[in-house]
Amino acid sequence: MEVIPPGRPHSALRATDIERVVMTTTVDKVLNWAASNSLWPFGFGLACCAMEMIAMVTPRYDIGRFGSEIVRATPRQSDLLIVSGRVSHRMTAPIRELYEQMLEPKWVMAMGACSSTGGMFANYAILQGVDKIVPVDVYVPGCPPRPEAVIEGVMTIQKKIKAGIPPAYEQQRSQA
Amino acid sequence: MSALSDRRTLRYPPAEVLSPIPSVLIPPDNPDTMLINLGPNHPSTHGVLRLVTTLDGEKVVGLHNELGYVHTGIEKNMEQKSYWKAITYAPRADYNAFFANELVYCMAVEKLLGLEVPRRGEWIRAIFTELQRIHNHLIFLGTGSVDLGGIALLFYCFRERDRVLDLVELAGGVRMHPRYAQVGGVAEDIPVAFDREARSFIKEMRARVDEYEDLIGQQPIFRDRTRGIGVITPEFARQMGLTGPNARASGVNWDLRAHEPYGAYRELQVQPIVFEVGDVYDRYLIRLHEIRQSVDIIEQALDGLPSGPWIADDRKVVLPPRHELHTSMESLIHHFKLVTEGYRVPAGEAYACVEGPRGELGCNLVADGSAKPWRVHFRSASLVMLQSVAALCKGVLLADLIAILASLDPNMGDCDR
Amino acid sequence: MSARADADGLAAGLAEATVSEALGEVTIDVQSAQIADACAAALAAGYDFLCDLAATDYLGFGGEGVAGYWASPSGAGERDINHPASSGLGVVVSPPGTKRFAISYQLLDRSARPARRLRLRTWVDDGESLPSVVGVFPCADYQEREAWDLMGIDFSDHPHLERIFLPEGWDGHPHRKDYPIGGEPVQFSDEV
Repeated sequence: MEVIPPGRPHSALRATDIERVVMTTTVDKVLNWAASNSLWPFGFGLACCAMEMIAMVTPRYDIGRFGSEIVRATPRQSDLLIVSGRVSHRMTAPIRELYEQMLEPKWVMAMGACSSTGGMFANYAILQGVDKIVPVDVYVPGCPPRPEAVIEGVMTIQKKIKAGIPPAYEQQRSQA
Repeated sequence: MSALSDRRTLRYPPAEVLSPIPSVLIPPDNPDTMLINLGPNHPSTHGVLRLVTTLDGEKVVGLHNELGYVHTGIEKNMEQKSYWKAITYAPRADYNAFFANELVYCMAVEKLLGLEVPRRGEWIRAIFTELQRIHNHLIFLGTGSVDLGGIALLFYCFRERDRVLDLVELAGGVRMHPRYAQVGGVAEDIPVAFDREARSFIKEMRARVDEYEDLIGQQPIFRDRTRGIGVITPEFARQMGLTGPNARASGVNWDLRAHEPYGAYRELQVQPIVFEVGDVYDRYLIRLHEIRQSVDIIEQALDGLPSGPWIADDRKVVLPPRHELHTSMESLIHHFKLVTEGYRVPAGEAYACVEGPRGELGCNLVADGSAKPWRVHFRSASLVMLQSVAALCKGVLLADLIAILASLDPNMGDCDR
Repeated sequence: MSARADADGLAAGLAEATVSEALGEVTIDVQSAQIADACAAALAAGYDFLCDLAATDYLGFGGEGVAGYWASPSGAGERDINHPASSGLGVVVSPPGTKRFAISYQLLDRSARPARRLRLRTWVDDGESLPSVVGVFPCADYQEREAWDLMGIDFSDHPHLERIFLPEGWDGHPHRKDYPIGGEPVQFSDEV
């Protein structure tokens, strides 16, 4: 039987080699591919890191290339909470509330040293790591991290999603 | 300048100091009003500021601020470290003008030590202070226009901001918080390529500022939203402690660089830009003009940059150059003592101030003769200016409140420290 | 008139006020009960702008303080360039006032050329209150609240003296010298 390769779209209908025109995958993989390439960050800036986060959205670094085009002002419509900056004790309740308002699946990035571990501020005022109040998926070191480093953090989350690893809150739930 | 001779109708009367509490607009006892919480996370509050607003329909009838959402205890942390290591904490306060914070702390220490900074060090500091001013005003313009709904300017301004940070990185090593200002001068000499890069930046920035002025200055929606609202009178500015562009937009002719010059400003020519009306439009335009002025000052400084050392020669205070550590025993000992223990500063209290992008940025430093600062207090322009928000927003529409708050340009890191 | 001459004139009109000058700055130490009058007098003399209100805790000043010294012995005293930091003992340093807290008011006269600055400083003990200057300089509102919040200095007639940075139920005043720096101990770190 003659094998007609699907060289051009209109000839694909006449192709006889089914593996050439049909891709098989799992539902999870497709959903993960879609989720990872459309992570919408939540516009949440606390301190200096927020400036680099805004720089990440701007043309030179452009997180929009990675699908994070839309920075939403409401947590209801965002997927990715980037905690950019130092977390004071007064801010913990608002962060937790905003995190609760985000819809699942959701991911959290601790951007910078201060939100990862408290940074240089080992004192009475700063929470020593935002992972004490929200489950964190990726930690990006730096004070502040360069926008490229934050993009790498977003890419790490993308890899995590594509690999099928559940978000941090699910891992915590399964451990609890 | 067209802004000066522009006649405009004021939509609200000029702000007056409130009483009994200057920073609180007390709402009337009216059950038909609505309590709205703006913040601490809001796209329009320049960081984590919470405005507890009482609205009567769309009009603001009650307002007070809740601060402290990014209180970091920087001042107390600085007391735990030696003078050299404490410089790292200072720029994290006002993160849009990080060099100004480092500089003012270093100036206070130098005052207590009686240390003189060499001319080249002063001129490099002036270049970086002006770069900081451009950096801050670009962020202000970008985020300010996002507040008003015109998102395009954000991307243009941040493109230029990246150019400024390229220059900072060239000399200081990192984009933000380079700890470039040191007690005695600056940490490293500017590299050879800095002059060429800075001049190309100057050329580009001049063209861009003209673009921005066209983009917002003549835009009808921008003009309608900002003209005639949030008027600050010189007397209000004096009573409420407003300095910097906020005061100069209202006719207060006061600029530390011109009237109380420090460092290289004793030799550089700075002509303060003063506008008349003092509304939101003036505060936007004055910062645009200040970007132009800063570009001119940088060019002046590059043209006249003296040669010589960039940091003081006192090895009991300043780290020796690294190449000397291989050959000189004394340098090695100095380096060791300075890094492990630090130099001692004689007891006393000193106040140093610079013209920051927001206004007067000061540092009140108390030393006790040991190797660590006893008390560092930053005079924060943002804390002082946030007191005025309630008075400025009396009876305005909610949309105007956003514009007024944006025009003041507060920074919550600077405010809460 | 120079700032020093102004200061001498102002101090003459107040009870028990002393003038000192160091590092190019003129300081008037006034009694705490008179601070509002002193500010009003300075305002009348042309110092019409309050730049800064800074509170300092002098507990343990010059000695083995509770904030934690390391490496060098106390009492460094005058800077002597012939003696590197670690060797020898210098002059014992004592705080410039007799009470625990100092509040410095930095005033500015912008109309003079060159502009003149003046520092009014007052001293209080723990628990002692002093009058607020909000009536003279409304911009002292938040700055006095900051001094109350972080240093525990009570301003008796401030219209709205509440915590400004720390959450409402916070216990203590962190910038005091007997308040620990806080944070968490890090495993395997030498600092506890």
